[in-house]
Amino acid sequence: MRCAIVGSGLASLAAYATLRHGGIEPGDIAVFGPNADPTEPWRMRAASIRQRRMRSESDGHLAPASFPGLAVRESLRRATPAPLFASVTNRYHPSVDAFLSHAEEVRARSGWEQSFRAQRVARVRAVAGGFELDGGGPFAHVLVATGHPGLAKPAGLPEAVHAYEPHEYAPRVAIVGAGMAAATEWLNALAAGSEVVSIRRREPVRRPLNVPRPLFSKRGLAAFHRLAPHDRATKLRELSTPSYPPGAAWDRPLERAASEGRLRVLRGSPEEAQRKYGDLQVILATGFLRGFTHDALLRDLVEAHALEAHDEWIALAPDSTVPALTDDVRTLSIAGVAGQWAFPAADTIAGAKYAARAFLRRICRTR
Amino acid sequence: MSYTLTGRIQSRIASALPALLVALALHRWWAIELVALMLVVGLVLDVLVYHRRLAYQAGWTAAPLGVVELGVVVGGMRALHIAAPLAWALALYALAWLSGQLAGHALFPRLRLEYAESGGELGRAGALTSLAVIVTVVAGLGGAYAVRPPTIHLHGVVQGPLVIRHAQTLVGGTVKGGILIRASHVTLRHVTIEGGENGIDVLGSQHVMLDGVRIAGVELDGIHVRRSSVMIRDCSVTAPKGPWVQGIDISFSMDKGMSMVEGCTIEGVREGIVTHMTMVDVAHNTIGNTSLRAITMGEMSMGSITHNDVRGARGVGIFCVDHSECAIEHNSVFGTHVDPGGDPTRSGVAIEAHYFARATLKDNTISASPGGIAAFDQSKLTRR
Repeated sequence: MRCAIVGSGLASLAAYATLRHGGIEPGDIAVFGPNADPTEPWRMRAASIRQRRMRSESDGHLAPASFPGLAVRESLRRATPAPLFASVTNRYHPSVDAFLSHAEEVRARSGWEQSFRAQRVARVRAVAGGFELDGGGPFAHVLVATGHPGLAKPAGLPEAVHAYEPHEYAPRVAIVGAGMAAATEWLNALAAGSEVVSIRRREPVRRPLNVPRPLFSKRGLAAFHRLAPHDRATKLRELSTPSYPPGAAWDRPLERAASEGRLRVLRGSPEEAQRKYGDLQVILATGFLRGFTHDALLRDLVEAHALEAHDEWIALAPDSTVPALTDDVRTLSIAGVAGQWAFPAADTIAGAKYAARAFLRRICRTR
Repeated sequence: MSYTLTGRIQSRIASALPALLVALALHRWWAIELVALMLVVGLVLDVLVYHRRLAYQAGWTAAPLGVVELGVVVGGMRALHIAAPLAWALALYALAWLSGQLAGHALFPRLRLEYAESGGELGRAGALTSLAVIVTVVAGLGGAYAVRPPTIHLHGVVQGPLVIRHAQTLVGGTVKGGILIRASHVTLRHVTIEGGENGIDVLGSQHVMLDGVRIAGVELDGIHVRRSSVMIRDCSVTAPKGPWVQGIDISFSMDKGMSMVEGCTIEGVREGIVTHMTMVDVAHNTIGNTSLRAITMGEMSMGSITHNDVRGARGVGIFCVDHSECAIEHNSVFGTHVDPGGDPTRSGVAIEAHYFARATLKDNTISASPGGIAAFDQSKLTRR
């Protein structure tokens, strides 16, 4: 067994499918994680916020090659070029159902079950020629994709429900946050007939994707990788500012609700909202805990090997590998949100594939 | 996609491969030159404009940028005198554009998983492919340059007749006694011919260009073309030596591709421009004082007669005859006068269809021509 993937979410499936595409047999890959169905954690979160459309575009799918994308597939399925036209004008966003259906195809085709082991790995240790996972192994090449370390829930709000947890809407709700989940929740609550108080610290940035488009390619990444550690951390903090896409589909219902007095904005805390507007259901659209220190496995890895880290990020090489633990015979890569030092949009499908492809290149090189 | 400069260049060059292969298959130098021109235009725009202005390039921009590049390429063709037929040039450009789209959206991302995140860079295989394309194009251009027809400048008066048996370009000078062209890819530019039976006699030759030739004092035809395809531009045929002289006669070339007569001035001959069994466009010519007809499209010829200025023809101005199919549009016919012989078909007819000919007419201006527009002997005139 040469390769191991630690984690069993979407990033892991993307990595697994990429390795399989690169000719690595299922018997040479072990996937460790709690989820036999790699879409399950994401599916539950999407269902909780009633997300219907992806923020990603046609190539936001888990198959190794970006073509054919989801727009092509939908176009063929519906026998219409409309999705293709929407895609070339950056207006195509696949439905959540289409994304999950395709993810299921990818999983079935890849042979995921043959490699999956229902085991939550707590410790990764570098040993001669590879890595031990909870004492097992060693594996020459390991990709860690443990995902978000947990939901961000501000202290002192025990009654609040997080947007990514199942919930309904009271007649009057306060939604904390200003990113994609918050915007989705504004529309959900308004559609459910609720009055909404949007609690935010700053005005949300409007941009189509999580980060500016050039940062998805070498064009923007080259400059990003040249930044000094302090500047890179500052840049990552800037990029983590809450954002959601521009467009009338978002603006019109919000403007209408605001004109009807059903949507109010408050720059303050939920407590202030309670004081000002009375009893409110508080929904936390505050995203996830940030930083590797919230992830027990990564924190242990950094401490045990004295890895370089800056603020909340583990320092990675541009190809998402951990430089101190990667050489000609072994590879330790980090995918998912913890890989932002290499790829600012690491917590997206594109980010998962970025790390996976680089991981595959290293494996192929050291075969 | 957000291209790097290297990515733009590699993607553009590699995706030109289908157009280059078609150009090579065509066995025409202009095709290679056209692919080279498309590449140069694209690469210059990539370096100077696109890379600087487009940090991110949405898919839809390929359409307007493609139109802009097409305009520059067509302008470049004209400026560099690349002798590509327009339809072929457009087809080759369309192929290059389409293959660029298919490669960028489908092929390259399939062949190289990290294509998009690499900013369009193609890795080692792509670099080698790009290099191969460049080498092939440069070698093709070198070949085209090496085997291009020689250009011969004539000075003063040369005693003819000259016989041309190899592709070449003849420029300037005066030839007495006429020129016989017996090879394809011959160009005469600004040559004056004086005397001889036929001023220029073209037989069994393709892609012959007669540009700005001046012909005077010939005994039979100013320009006599058989079994050939010719492009005649800005010529003049004057001072005929005798009553039987024709200005330009292109015949028996139906299977030789389209010929064209454009911008010529013909004066005082028996028939100005006459064709038999030929596909031809006759446009923007000035023809005066002919004794039989100014323009004749005859014997199953097909083509257009447009924007010509016909003055003072005896009997008939423009004549479409004998199963020919003629599009006669935007001509000006003035002062066609009656042939004294009494033949009603020569009664000062400005435009005439005769003997099973089919002519369509549109926006012609006719004056001082008593016979007007007429059809005879089961021919048909259609006004549009």
